[in-house]
Amino acid sequence: MFGAFRPTNSLSGGLLWKIPWRLSQPQKYRQRQRLRAVDDVVATVSAALAKKGETLKQLERWQAEMPTEAEMLPKDKYTMFDRKEKRYRKGIHKLPKWTRVSQRLNPPGY
Amino acid sequence: MSWFRITLHRSAIGLPERTRGVLSALGLRKRQQVVFHPVSAQFAGMILKVKELVKVEEVDRPLSAAEVKAERTPEPGFWVESRAAGGVLKEVEALARRRGGVKVEEEGEVRL
Repeated sequence: MFGAFRPTNSLSGGLLWKIPWRLSQPQKYRQRQRLRAVDDVVATVSAALAKKGETLKQLERWQAEMPTEAEMLPKDKYTMFDRKEKRYRKGIHKLPKWTRVSQRLNPPGY
Repeated sequence: MSWFRITLHRSAIGLPERTRGVLSALGLRKRQQVVFHPVSAQFAGMILKVKELVKVEEVDRPLSAAEVKAERTPEPGFWVESRAAGGVLKEVEALARRRGGVKVEEEGEVRL
């Protein structure tokens, strides 16, 4: 029961994967807040430049290609494509630095 | 002329060198630091590079460092309603005389 040779999951089975397979409700809530924060930054920058009559290729491309938080499907908010996974989807929290990078688009059909 | 007020909200620890380079080019070194840059395509592009890490507002003028500090300093918790007429020392002397049996020394030092 105690000591160095106790039969714990990691000792008897080797690798024990501790990352849960899906996000919890508060994690999903915070993910939505982060998506909205990025949308806000883009909107602010776009409005400020529009007032001066300037524009930016990078900005136009983001606005043309990227869906906003409201336009995204729940599937794309909380999961992402992975060719190695069963049914080709894994939780977005498996992406390294997932709270500080943008991952909005997935291959069409998946 | 309008300005971007940029606050570093998320740290760039562990992010690529390019991202950290953009932050240092914007002059952002630590979280909650605020910098002001004029609205232009150049700075807009830099902001978009780090859009996941910063909060941005458009403002009319850049604030000085003292004004930014004043914004986040809390209220002192007390308010001076009226100042003593001749300063604090005279108030103490008057109080001492009223109590009686005290020495008021010449240099203004008061012993109760």
